[in-house]
Amino acid sequence: MPNQPIQFLIGVDIGGTFTDIVVVDQISGKQFNGKILTTPINPSEAVLSGVKEILARHKIDPKKCRIIHGTTLVANALIERKGVKTALLTTKGFKDVLEIGREWRYDLFALDLEMPSPIVQRNLRFEVSERLNFQGKIIKKLDEKELIKVAKEIKKSDVETLAIVFLHSFKNATHEKLAKKIIQKHVPGLNICLSSTVSPEIGEYERTSTCVANAYVQPIFKKYVNLLAKGIKKIGIENDLFLMLSDGGIVHEKIAVEYPIRLVQSGPAGGAQAATLFGKIQKISDVLCFDMGGTTAKACLIENGKPNRTTIFEVARVFRFSKGSGLPLQVPVVDMIEIGAGGGSIARIDEMGLIQVGPESSSSYPGPACYDLGGKLPTVTDSDLILGYIDPDNFLGGDMKLMKENAEKAIKDYIAKPMGISVLDAAWAIHEVVTENMSQAATIHALEKGRKIEKFCMIPIGGAGPVHACSMMAKMNINKMISPSNAGVASAIGMIASPNAFELVQADMQNLEDLNFIKLKRKFNLLKKEGEKSLLKTGTKLNKINISNSLLMRYIGQGYEVEVPINNKCLNSNNIKNISIEFERVYKDLFGRIEKMPLEIISLRTIATSISSQPVIKQEKINLSIIHKNSKKRKAYFGGKTFLDTPVFQRNNLPKNFKKNGPLIIEERESTLIIPPYFNLKMDSTGNLLITKESRNEK
Amino acid sequence: MNKIDPIKLGIIWKRLNGMIDEVAESFIRSSFSAVVRENYDMAFSLLDVHGRQFIQTKKSIPSFIGTLPHTLQEILKKIPANQFSEGDVVISNDSWLGTGHLNDITMVSPIFKNKKLIAFAGSTAHTVDIGGAPSPNAQDSYEEGLCIPICKIVEKGIENQVVIDFLQQNLREPEETLGDIRAQFSAYDVATKKLLTLLNEEKLNDLDQIILNILKKSEQSMRKKIKDIPDGKYVDEMFIDGFDKPLKIKCLIEVKKDNIIIDFRGTSKQINRPINSVFNYTYAYACYALKCAIDPNAPNNDGSFRPVKIIAPMGTIVNPTRPAPVWGRHLTGHYIPPAIYGALSKVIPKNIIAESGSPLWNIYFKGRQENNDKPFVKMFFMNGGHGARSGSDGPGCLSFPSNVSNQSIEQFENQAPLLVHEKSFVKDTQGVGQYVGGPAQKISFESKSSKTMMMTIRHERVIHPPRGILGGGDGSKGIDLVNNKKIPAKTSYPLKFGDIATFQTPGGGGMYTPKKRDRKKIINDIESGLLSSKKAKLIYKKQVERNKDA
Repeated sequence: MPNQPIQFLIGVDIGGTFTDIVVVDQISGKQFNGKILTTPINPSEAVLSGVKEILARHKIDPKKCRIIHGTTLVANALIERKGVKTALLTTKGFKDVLEIGREWRYDLFALDLEMPSPIVQRNLRFEVSERLNFQGKIIKKLDEKELIKVAKEIKKSDVETLAIVFLHSFKNATHEKLAKKIIQKHVPGLNICLSSTVSPEIGEYERTSTCVANAYVQPIFKKYVNLLAKGIKKIGIENDLFLMLSDGGIVHEKIAVEYPIRLVQSGPAGGAQAATLFGKIQKISDVLCFDMGGTTAKACLIENGKPNRTTIFEVARVFRFSKGSGLPLQVPVVDMIEIGAGGGSIARIDEMGLIQVGPESSSSYPGPACYDLGGKLPTVTDSDLILGYIDPDNFLGGDMKLMKENAEKAIKDYIAKPMGISVLDAAWAIHEVVTENMSQAATIHALEKGRKIEKFCMIPIGGAGPVHACSMMAKMNINKMISPSNAGVASAIGMIASPNAFELVQADMQNLEDLNFIKLKRKFNLLKKEGEKSLLKTGTKLNKINISNSLLMRYIGQGYEVEVPINNKCLNSNNIKNISIEFERVYKDLFGRIEKMPLEIISLRTIATSISSQPVIKQEKINLSIIHKNSKKRKAYFGGKTFLDTPVFQRNNLPKNFKKNGPLIIEERESTLIIPPYFNLKMDSTGNLLITKESRNEK
Repeated sequence: MNKIDPIKLGIIWKRLNGMIDEVAESFIRSSFSAVVRENYDMAFSLLDVHGRQFIQTKKSIPSFIGTLPHTLQEILKKIPANQFSEGDVVISNDSWLGTGHLNDITMVSPIFKNKKLIAFAGSTAHTVDIGGAPSPNAQDSYEEGLCIPICKIVEKGIENQVVIDFLQQNLREPEETLGDIRAQFSAYDVATKKLLTLLNEEKLNDLDQIILNILKKSEQSMRKKIKDIPDGKYVDEMFIDGFDKPLKIKCLIEVKKDNIIIDFRGTSKQINRPINSVFNYTYAYACYALKCAIDPNAPNNDGSFRPVKIIAPMGTIVNPTRPAPVWGRHLTGHYIPPAIYGALSKVIPKNIIAESGSPLWNIYFKGRQENNDKPFVKMFFMNGGHGARSGSDGPGCLSFPSNVSNQSIEQFENQAPLLVHEKSFVKDTQGVGQYVGGPAQKISFESKSSKTMMMTIRHERVIHPPRGILGGGDGSKGIDLVNNKKIPAKTSYPLKFGDIATFQTPGGGGMYTPKKRDRKKIINDIESGLLSSKKAKLIYKKQVERNKDA
């Protein structure tokens, strides 16, 4: 299908409650937003009716549009275990690798800790005789007769999809491919995923887990994408559908359905891309994107205008959001930490007599005590209400009334009374603890990457983010924050803001001293070809594709690699020394020292990015209505002796070049921005709010 | 003066926890040995100037956390606090002062603020090789490798070349061990910087009040939990495989108000084989077992164990005297938690678990690499089935009471000339019960080395299986085979090219009577191939028959 010239980019993000739609005119930079209730049973329904409506309302020609879509479908299918019946085929002797996992207690003291139950039950895990050695050489041929028997077994069961994972297949995919061919012949119509395609990296448990998860969600994902793709054609959008990957790249629907597991963080990646864009508009390259919702908070670092990425991710944690209690996935993702701290997080007194908040959450039902839906326990939202940060009569634009008495009672009964402190002190303590938890998680996350959090500029998104952002700034010693307009549809903006890109990884273990440059160049070239192939499908022209290469390297004997960017000059120098110099630069930056030890290469990584696909978004000048001279006031508490009379403004009523010092409250429909004393606020020409901290010792 | 605002205390405590995890993470990311990186065989702590531990890493081995304070206290006896300077690092691996065998190296580094010593950062990490010829047949501790006495390996920031040379000359893989040691040096720097920043931000000159409060609150929490246990004496006795003949561990627990005494009198005398558990190690596992059972959510520090007294007579396998061989001290030490749970099952059954397929199983392979003839020593860890819990089945192959993860087979085959044929669960190995134990696993290795390699094992539970409790059945015994023939569980065995060594770890014990097991679970066990219908008919007769009717 020839792609039409594209004037309008449409970003679509499906969330739990709302589906957000953002349309940007690439010529004028104008932006139109839409919000529609999500249709959980058939999510494409809301997408299609929402898009149709917004195009009609603004008289936009669908032929000039392209839809870029992010979805939580993959993550939800894994969390709620709503994929299809899946089988696994492994090398003989290794079918239990998936269930044995790492044998490690992620919680040292909980005797009753829960392990994630494997996606494929044992009776659907099959084995076949075959073997490669660690170099990828075939040392035992695939037993085809045995495999045909297995195929018949699979046919008998009502399995819809199969993951094939053989040992060392990331070095040599011959057996996996052959097995696929044979099984396909005997079980026509069966969906089959190969680990050598989905995740060609060393580590049989993680690779199996990834491949199985991919197989598990692929059939429903395919169905959904096909339905949506057909639907958008029906409403006149002839350009193909594009989807957002977990690492923020954008791919054509045809690529996306091959690797659905790469879309596991598709929605949150959109948020990070949006923060990247907001940062770019302000010419700030290092951003801490902070997203706080109802049950969890996420933080992501953006450096030099790019979100940090990682290649291992854990989904569907079963025990208090603990690292290690979920399913590991080897996929490129925007590197985010997620902790159990959200508006619904429950506060309690622990065995030490100290206040703890989360990770247990009251979720949206029964929700915080103030929702009056039967929740009795005190939560972060209850504390925010008592502190005056949110308006009981204006929550979600007044759609939901909050009961302050309930919040008071919950905090009194469970925190204030047992500790012998006032309700206000207890509410303030809850606020302090939850912001400390989040600040700490973000700080550790930065340090794990060898970065200091202070240098970042914070951009809060999500419903509860802007309420807590300033407190966190103080704790992390961050001086600057941007509160973008349209933070409520940030993820959808992110979909539009992302370049077409695709990442490829190839495991290739060898000592650096044995490196053959000719072979290395040949391998990078193959990756490049494959990356180009993916991007050509997006309509990108060959001369508009940027290729960046890197090597994952470590000292021989170490187990964690660092990513070493390899430019063409280095690659063409044919000099090993140049590679080790690059390595040392990166390593020293991370760990503060270098060792006199030999190096090895673990894998090659190539990212193909379309240069032309960076979209134009001039943020639309917002409608400036008449200034409310005598704005409302509300009592809010920021520590110290007493409540302060705090002016409250409606964000969409703020005058041009608005400037004011805290304390201040800026309300929007979906969130409230809290500016404590000693913080200053200023609006820029595009409607973004800049917040700075006055001095360190304000408390 | 001791008064500190509980809200502020909570925040600072949180920050200290966060910072020590950061420090450990930076070590793990830059370490050179698979045991640290993949098995997390290490721990980091913050200790006060008296050697009391007040903060510890989340990711760590239970025994290391319990032994570090004692090691620092011994260090302080030899090198008093006033003889420490900024940039010092003190090292030792003395079995009696440390974790109970030479392979764990402990180091501490002082942290100063304004020239005043305010705390120590300490860590313990496992090293696969420590020289010597450790073997299951060692008669005394001298055979077991190099003992590093308490000494400064770094003085005022400069490495002590003599100590480094000693290590370099005595170890088979000095790059790996020294690489890890140096990675810890930079982790101490991180710890120092972080702690000083924290103090500055919180406007504190030292940590004294904070430490006092942390320890006090932890102690109070533990006392409260002990008080909930009815006063009385609870006893258990168990037999372990031992060497030539079975050995006995006797455990008497006395609960009196908010104090608890764990008494090992009546336990077998020490033997001249490397299974003796030095007191430090016994103490650490006793504390760990207790904490899991009665106060799992509270922090773990010196304060938590003030209400606990442990009696272990000198000269027994739970408190041997020098120069007893101790290399495989976990072969006794890992029995401490089940002995304690055996006693506690009589009073707080809901808080405990049936016996797991531990002591931890491992194998040492020692030989030469095929491509460059360099010597290698590789270790492979295997866990048995986990004991059943009071409300759920035991997971298959989960580490307890140690916390050592397995290693990727693909990584392993890259490191040693061995081919792994199998790693899978074994049918009919779970201890039966209302809740069953975790299944055992079977792993087999084929030597692909043209030269003979030495394989060393020291395994338990091949005679005495993990016991079920309160009506639950025992898990299966462990099995060691070479070319399908049984070999002793504690031996060194030469593997020739093509030899196949096969190991089956023990299965976990069950809990409560099998008569109460849910029918659906039995059917599921049969379908998944973990339970034979023959065994099902035998054990779960009632439920299986009822199912037929249904």
